[in-house]
Formats: sequence, structure tokens, C-alpha cells
Amino acid sequence: MTELEIPHQLGRGLLSTMRSLLVLGQLMTESTGERQILELAATAVPALAHCRVVSIERVGAPSQTPELAAQLERATPGGGAVEVVDRPWAWAYPLGSPSGHFGHLVVAAEHEPTNEEQFLLRALAQQTGAALANQRLHAQEQATASELSLVNERLRGTVGALERSMEIHARLTAVAVSGEGRDGIARAVHELTGLPVAIEDRYGNLRAWAGPNRPDPYPKDPASRREQLLRRALKSPRPLREGGNLLALAHPQGDVLGVILLVDPAGAAGEHELMALEHGATILAMELARVRSLAESELRIRRDLVDELLTGTDEESALARATALDYDLQRPHRVLVIEGHGRTKDNDAFFQAVRHAAREEPAGTLLVARGAQVVLLADCEADWESLRNAVMRELGGGRARIGVGERCERIADFPRSYGQARLAMRLLATAEWDDRAVRFDDLGVYRLLIGNESLGEVERFVQQWIGPLLAYDQQRSADLVRTLSHYLDRGGKYEATAAALIVHRNTLKYRLQRIRQITGLDLSDPEVCFNLQLATRAWHTLTALHSTPWPMPEKGSSGSGDDPDRR
Amino acid sequence: MSSGPSTPAVSMGRPGVAISPGDHICAFYRGTEQRDEVLVPFLREGILAGDKCICVMDDPDTERVTGSLSQSLDVERSMRTGQFDLMCSDLAYLPGGCFEVDSMLDFWERGVGTAVHTSGFTFVRAVGEMTWALRDLPGVEHLVSYEARLNRFLPRYPQVVLCLYDLERFTDGQVLMELLRTHPKVLLSGQLLENPWYVEPDDALTVA
Repeated sequence: MTELEIPHQLGRGLLSTMRSLLVLGQLMTESTGERQILELAATAVPALAHCRVVSIERVGAPSQTPELAAQLERATPGGGAVEVVDRPWAWAYPLGSPSGHFGHLVVAAEHEPTNEEQFLLRALAQQTGAALANQRLHAQEQATASELSLVNERLRGTVGALERSMEIHARLTAVAVSGEGRDGIARAVHELTGLPVAIEDRYGNLRAWAGPNRPDPYPKDPASRREQLLRRALKSPRPLREGGNLLALAHPQGDVLGVILLVDPAGAAGEHELMALEHGATILAMELARVRSLAESELRIRRDLVDELLTGTDEESALARATALDYDLQRPHRVLVIEGHGRTKDNDAFFQAVRHAAREEPAGTLLVARGAQVVLLADCEADWESLRNAVMRELGGGRARIGVGERCERIADFPRSYGQARLAMRLLATAEWDDRAVRFDDLGVYRLLIGNESLGEVERFVQQWIGPLLAYDQQRSADLVRTLSHYLDRGGKYEATAAALIVHRNTLKYRLQRIRQITGLDLSDPEVCFNLQLATRAWHTLTALHSTPWPMPEKGSSGSGDDPDRR
Repeated sequence: MSSGPSTPAVSMGRPGVAISPGDHICAFYRGTEQRDEVLVPFLREGILAGDKCICVMDDPDTERVTGSLSQSLDVERSMRTGQFDLMCSDLAYLPGGCFEVDSMLDFWERGVGTAVHTSGFTFVRAVGEMTWALRDLPGVEHLVSYEARLNRFLPRYPQVVLCLYDLERFTDGQVLMELLRTHPKVLLSGQLLENPWYVEPDDALTVA
């Protein structure tokens, strides 16, 4: 029976009970939970009929009476008679509503209830089903409303974050296009976050600061610790917290150009601040990449200009490049060739040392690296020895020597001045002079020899006076010409010569005796000595003119060996 | 209990809802907002009619009610003159941290009796917010007995008693049925109904 059939004989008692059901139904409708509804129904049953509630079985809910549940599974949704132990009469009334079936109200009695009672029980079950349906609908609505509220909340959060992101983006983009550089970026991030902001280079040196309490001096980590920190920051997908700071890297294409950090010892920074820091790092990366690109372009133009000047170029092209660099090329210049190294041989470090020294001295700003040498176009008459000392200081020790070419009054003079500087540098090596700055102008007799148009005459003069000694040195790997050169350059002084050659006085005497024997010349004759000294200098000149640049020998490396001629 | 047909109706402040002197009403509602929809008009009509109003609230936010009332009448004045007593449940229902039925009935006897005999009010409206009974305190289990015995007190004075039950707090259906049996009238979904579940105090007390 699914429809509620009203008995024919509606007595006054039944009408009163119907009102009870009406009130109960309203109370169920107002109820706040299924349990409350079911308890109301169960409590009402004894007042409506002479029976008791066996169970209220709900669809999908665990049953306290499995046997009964099994019977109900077999029964139709419309309910019907069920078997209950010790109860001759038991009935399952469906808890139904148009929106679904929720289970059964199972009641039992000693005797079958009257028609009126059964009618009331069925009405109660239907009312309970309707209240359950209403309750579920209400719960569903509440869940939907709650979900909607959550979605709205999330949406508000997303819109808020988007607005903040746009604000950050707009502010920092404005900084990027305004050309305010690192200072402007630091200032913008500080304004957006309210926290002090520092921008460091990759080595930890402070480059910009915005906000209060700027530390003085600015703390700097040791290099190894700094590198570790940068490695960790590179691996971190979000800004890295390090002590009281939050830091983000400016690293276009993985190359760390700088670091931007928020000073946040209280850990107050939230998502908004992190976002501002990340955007700031992006803008900083763009700015630093731009600055580096400019610097590289300028460096390339400078290098190209120096190369053209040294190899010879047309004046118009050189002047055009110089104008692009805002450089006055029409001043007198000298070409310098500088060679040396610090405690370790590092061409790049040597180049930087020369660059800094030349800028500080000042001696010039146009320079290029050529292998182990640096070529500087000096735009003034500086103290070259002072420049050499400045390079040594920049290197923090090591060696440096300079060959200085003649003045270039015209652009066409640069290649000649460059050749002179290289020659002076070679003579420094071949004549075994101490490290110094040598001007081509000061080379004396060497300059005379270099200027001689007929090198054949010079070579014949060398062969005439020291040819046998050169042959002997070559055959025996001896060192007699070098010995003679030092001896004559020191005015025939034994002690000074032995010290310069780093040999024993007796070795020197033995070598001089061999020289006398081979040449048959008297070394005490001033005329002989003059010609021999000129011949050795001519030989140095020829060597310098014919040789390619040779590596600088380590000090004290010559003059050693077991051969007495070399001792 | 309820008075005869000749007794004039008392305004409940809600359209179509009239109560009679001697009514003991159980008002079911869901949440504070619905509570105020019943409580505020009931008190406002009483104050405006010159009735003595005694309101015992369990909700500490009493300003919510006085604020609503003050939109249409001078609440402070009515409190100052003694027409309107607003008190908290701790002092009325739970003095000393426990509930005693006799003490509570004495409380009403004193309050209503004084209002009628001494202060000269011709009618008294009493209202109690009953959520205090859900606290884990001694004596609260006698709530049903109290409600049943209150029915014997009602005819002694020209008065109406309104008991407020929040269905979101009173979730036990069995308790709700027992409460239903102790109130001759029930206010549900804005409708005031003669309660067919009502059981005379003697019968109810036998069961309780």
C-alpha cells in the first residue's frame, strides 16, 4: 500500500490524533538533523497505536537488526509484513517521499492494530519520509551554499592576488622603463613591501639600498660561503630565507648577475612580499643584463678600434669608431706593450690589473689583450715606471715590464709605435735587463742599430768580432757570448758579472780565459772591448728583430748546469 | 491553564497570532535570528501595552534584543521604571551553579506576584531562553518536571509564559517530545497551535 488511505469511520479521536500528527510533522520540518526527526517519530509511535518500534531502517545506513534488514531488502519499497521474534504482528512502513525512498519504520504488536491505528502509523511514516527528504534537501542546499561561499572566497583571494600582482608589475615595469636602475628597483620593492631592500652583486658587495637601518659597514660573506648560498638559491623555486633575509637571484639564462634581498628578521613577509621580491628580481635581471650587454658592446668596439689602429687603418674609420665611444683619438698617443703575471699566471687577472692601473695612474683607457701581453694606447706622457709599479700593486706581487713606443702624432703612426714597443720588450728579454719600463726613445745604441738600413753590415760586424764565440756556444751549448756581454756591460768587474750570471768567480775566470783563447783578443785593450760590446749589443738587436716574442724566463733560471762553459 | 472564551486575546506581535492569558507556550526556532523574530515582538507588544515583562536570557549578547526593541520604544525607560526586567539565566535558572525546580518556581512567584500585587501591573509576560538546560550542571535533568509544574503556576496570575527552545541546540528528538507534552500551546513556523500532545501536569509528572 503506497497511497495513504483514510479510513471511512473518522472518529473525533482520530481527528485529534491527526492534529497531533500535523504538529509533529511541522516540528520534524523544522528539525535540524535526521537523527532528531527519527527520534521524534519513534517517540510518537506509542502515542498513536498500541505497538512498539522495532527499528527504523534507513537506506544505506548500517542496521542494528541484520535479519530485519535482510527481510526488507527482499520486500518491495512499499513495505509490508515482516517477521519479528515473539511478535505475532509486525509491519514495515516505508519512509517515502516523492523525492525518494529513505527506509522503513518497523513496528510490532501483540495484536494487529486497528485500521485507524495502522492509518496513523502509515501517515507518521510518510510524514517522517517527507521530513527526511526536506532535511536532505536543506543539507544539500547548505552544502552548495557553503561550497559557493568557499569558491567565492577563493575567487576573491585570486582576484586580490591578481590585483596586487598587477600593481607590483606596473610599479616595477615603470621603474624598468624610467632608467632609474638598481636604485629605482630597490626603492620600488621597498615601497611595495615596507621592508628594507638591498641589491648586491654576485660577490656580495652592496650596490643599492632602500629603507631604514642601512648597515655600515655592509656585511660580506667569505667567497666560498657566498658561492654555496648562490647555489642553494639557484635550486630554490621561490625566494630563499637565509637568516633574517629573503633573497632572490637576478640570473638571466642561469648566469647570476646580482641578488635582491628583503631584510625581514621578524619573518613578516607574506605572499604579497614574496611576489614583489620575485618581480623585483626579474626586473633586476633585465636591468643587469642590459647594463652588461652595453658594457660588452663598448668593450668590443674598443677592442676593434685598438686592433685597427695597431694593424693600420684609414683615419676616417678609426675616427668614426672613436666618436662612437666619445673618445678623442686626435691627441698624441704612445703604444705600450705590457707583459707580466701575478703570483699565478692568469691572463685575465693580468689584463684587469693593467686596466685598473692605467685608469688610476692615469695612463689611458683603450687597451686590448694579446695573448699574455696587454697593449695599451696611452693618451698622455705618464711616468711609465710608476705605471709598472701600479700594475704590480694591482697584481699583489709578481712581475711586470713595459715596452713603450714613440709618440703617435697621427693615426697612421700607431703601427710603428706598436712595433717599437714590442721591440723594446724583446730587447728587455734578450739583453737580460731587470724588469722595467723601457722607452724605445731611450734605447741608445740599440735604437741606432735598429735604424740601420743595412742589417747585413751589422751581421758581418757581429760575425767578425764574436762569430767564433757564437759558433762555439752553438756547438757546445755554451754561454760565452752572454758571459762576455755581461762582463763588458759591467765595465769588466768580476764580482758584479759573476753575481749577474749567478756563477762562481772561478767559473767566470775560466769562461773569460776560453773567450781569450777562441778569439785571440786581449780583453784589456779598450778598443777591443768597445768593438766587442758593440758586437754583443748588435747581436741582441738582431735577435730581437728576428725573434718572435719569447716567454719571459723565470728569474735566476739561466747560467746553471754542469758544463763549465755554462757554469 | 488557558482562560475561557471570554478572555481577551493578548497580542503576540505577529500577524494572525494571538495568545490568551494563562498560556504556557513552547516556541521552537532555529538560530538566533528566528529567536528574535519571536522574542522581540512579544516583548515590544507587552511593553507598549503596559504589561510587566520579565525576560531571562541565556545568550550573553542581550544588547541584540534591547537594540532591536529600542528602535520602536524607550527600552531604558521601561527598565528604569521596573516594567521590563532583563536578566541572565545564571542568576535566574542557575543560582549557585545548579538548577532547582522549587527555587525556580519561587523565582517566578516572587517576580510575578510582586509585579501584580505590589507594582500594580494587570498582566505579566514571562519569557525564558531555555538553552541553559543543555549545560552539564546539576539539576538540569529536571527540566521536563519544571515545565510540567509551571502549568500549575500559570493560573495563579494574569500572565503568559513563553519558553524558547532552539532546535539547533536541542537535537534530542526524545527530549523534544517530552517538552512538547508539557506545553499546552506550541509556536512552530510562526503558527501558534493548541498542542494535541499536551499532557496535564499530573500525568506528565507521573511519566517524568
